Amino acid sequence: MHTLTFATSFLALSSAFLLYGLTYDTRLIDQRVQMAERAAERARSEIAVLRAERAHLSRPDRIEPLARAMGMRPTLASQFTNTNLADADLAR
Amino acid sequence: MLILAPPPPAAETVTSRVRVRAARQLPPRVAPLREPSAAFQVRLASLVLGGLFLAVAGQLTRLAVKSDAMVIVAAAIEQAAESHSRPDIVDRNGRLLATDVEVHSLYADPSRIIDRDEAIEKLATVLPDLDEGEMRKALSDRNKHFAWVRRGLTPKMAQAVHDLGLPGFAFRRELRRAYPLGALAGHMLGRVDADNKGVAGIERYIDDNVGIDDVLTARPTERPPVRLSIEIGAQAGLEAELADAMTRYKAVSAAAVIMDVRSGEIAASASLPRMEPARAADVTDPTKKDRLQTGTYELGSIFKMMTIAAALDSKQVTPETVVDVRTPLMAGRYEIKDLHGAGRPLTVTEIFLHSSNVGSGMLALAGGTSAQQEFLARAGLTTPMATQIGPVTPPVTPARWDRTETITISYGHGIAVAPLQFAAAAGALVNGGTAVAPTYLARRPADPIPPATQVISSETSAAMRTIMRRNVTDAQGTGKRADVPGFDVGGKTGTADIAGPRGYRQGGVISSFLAAFPMSNPRYVALVLLFEPQATAESGGKRLAGLTAAPVAGRIISRIGPLLDR
Repeated sequence: MHTLTFATSFLALSSAFLLYGLTYDTRLIDQRVQMAERAAERARSEIAVLRAERAHLSRPDRIEPLARAMGMRPTLASQFTNTNLADADLAR
Repeated sequence: MLILAPPPPAAETVTSRVRVRAARQLPPRVAPLREPSAAFQVRLASLVLGGLFLAVAGQLTRLAVKSDAMVIVAAAIEQAAESHSRPDIVDRNGRLLATDVEVHSLYADPSRIIDRDEAIEKLATVLPDLDEGEMRKALSDRNKHFAWVRRGLTPKMAQAVHDLGLPGFAFRRELRRAYPLGALAGHMLGRVDADNKGVAGIERYIDDNVGIDDVLTARPTERPPVRLSIEIGAQAGLEAELADAMTRYKAVSAAAVIMDVRSGEIAASASLPRMEPARAADVTDPTKKDRLQTGTYELGSIFKMMTIAAALDSKQVTPETVVDVRTPLMAGRYEIKDLHGAGRPLTVTEIFLHSSNVGSGMLALAGGTSAQQEFLARAGLTTPMATQIGPVTPPVTPARWDRTETITISYGHGIAVAPLQFAAAAGALVNGGTAVAPTYLARRPADPIPPATQVISSETSAAMRTIMRRNVTDAQGTGKRADVPGFDVGGKTGTADIAGPRGYRQGGVISSFLAAFPMSNPRYVALVLLFEPQATAESGGKRLAGLTAAPVAGRIISRIGPLLDR
């Protein structure tokens, strides 16, 4: 009878300590997960801002004058050729 | 552990002594009144304790599953401030048009503010446009715990407010819609309100059909972006050419749409002056309305396309049928005559090329009023239409539709339609005859094009293509200046008087050009409109569409044609 009592109280005590330890581990992990989630959220938000900034910097209103200043211009119809005519030229 | 503990030994000795004495005094036949045994007491205690444990466990489970308490907390915050996260809007190539970015929004807890007037004074030094009277009113109720002060502060301003160190003021991270390209495609994109809910354009469409997420913090949505049919390069080119045309011809406004006649996808569409989605004042400004979809106009001679297509489709005439257009037509009190009469009978093709009012009136009369009504209904020009950015202003048809109206409608007066609706109807004339439904969303390659109703026969459509192409290539055609080498452009000009409160206004016209290209197998229609262009040296001192809208259409096609899908 005594053996059983001692055995069970030992089990109860050790499981209490185990549980205590587990709870702390869980909290620690939970904290880490939360930190990672916060970091991910911040990164996502920064990505959104950076993407918007990239789109803003590459907006046609800004690029067009820069491109024209570099001597570029929209494509002209004369810069295209009819591929069928090119074939005919080669065949000749 | 409590359950396993043995009962106290003292209790046992007392009860057994009492029991012995009782047995001596009473006859053994009568059963003694027995106290509950020790084993029974233990069982009872464990039962009660077990029941209690079960109750606790049950309550815990209930809370974990239903989490009623959590909901109450969340609801309290929600009432204070709720925002929405929205999917991005991108062009057909995935380039960003609208996205959510994180901003800081300042709010106050009136119950915690120590000195209201001082706080407002200090705030005004950082936020100069703060309405102090309004603020005082908002913060006067000390029973309240939440009031917005200013939403969507830049990080710099938020830091400045934070540095004031005012008690009772705090920030919330919020999402705010950003339009990185400014006013580009503004009419199409629409607008959102302070809670990031769509109120106009594609933004409204997203709320109603795609879905947005309720958020309490600045958490962006994980929904895939909404892909529009436009291409940013083509859209920018179109807007630049229209702006150029407005200065070139001193027009009040200009609008154009380029649409795929097979799928109805709008490749580019703009109405100038542009509307900037981020500026609330632009939305209510009547000069900045979307003239393609939210306004109806008498479009004038480009309507002759419909009259001639109807005549050809009825098989009453062929493109070569000769019509005597020399005598003016009488429509009620009015005499309809041609501005520059040819002085000879014209073929049906020539009626188109010369843009003869008399000729188109005669063709419409030959078909009859009901045939005209039936054809326009089939072309979708008399019934309301809607796109993803909202309903199109319904067409205005005459209440009395008799001989006079049949004649005027044949050349585009007496009926007013939204330009977008006309462009869609014109698409059906050149694409082989099937109806076109305009869409602002990109069609996924896997999606089949839904079967459309036949408006005209494919033979009539082929004839229309030939006539429209001739109007650009022919020496006498009105659309000569829209020609772009290599693009095989065809089209029709229109110079329409603008209706005022008392008859037609003197001087003001809408100059338009409806183009299709490449004419051998059209992929796109382009409708260009100039509102009230002035007679300038550029247009040879005239306001005729052939000298204004047609060259603009040519410039637009040569600029953005190479950017469009073939």
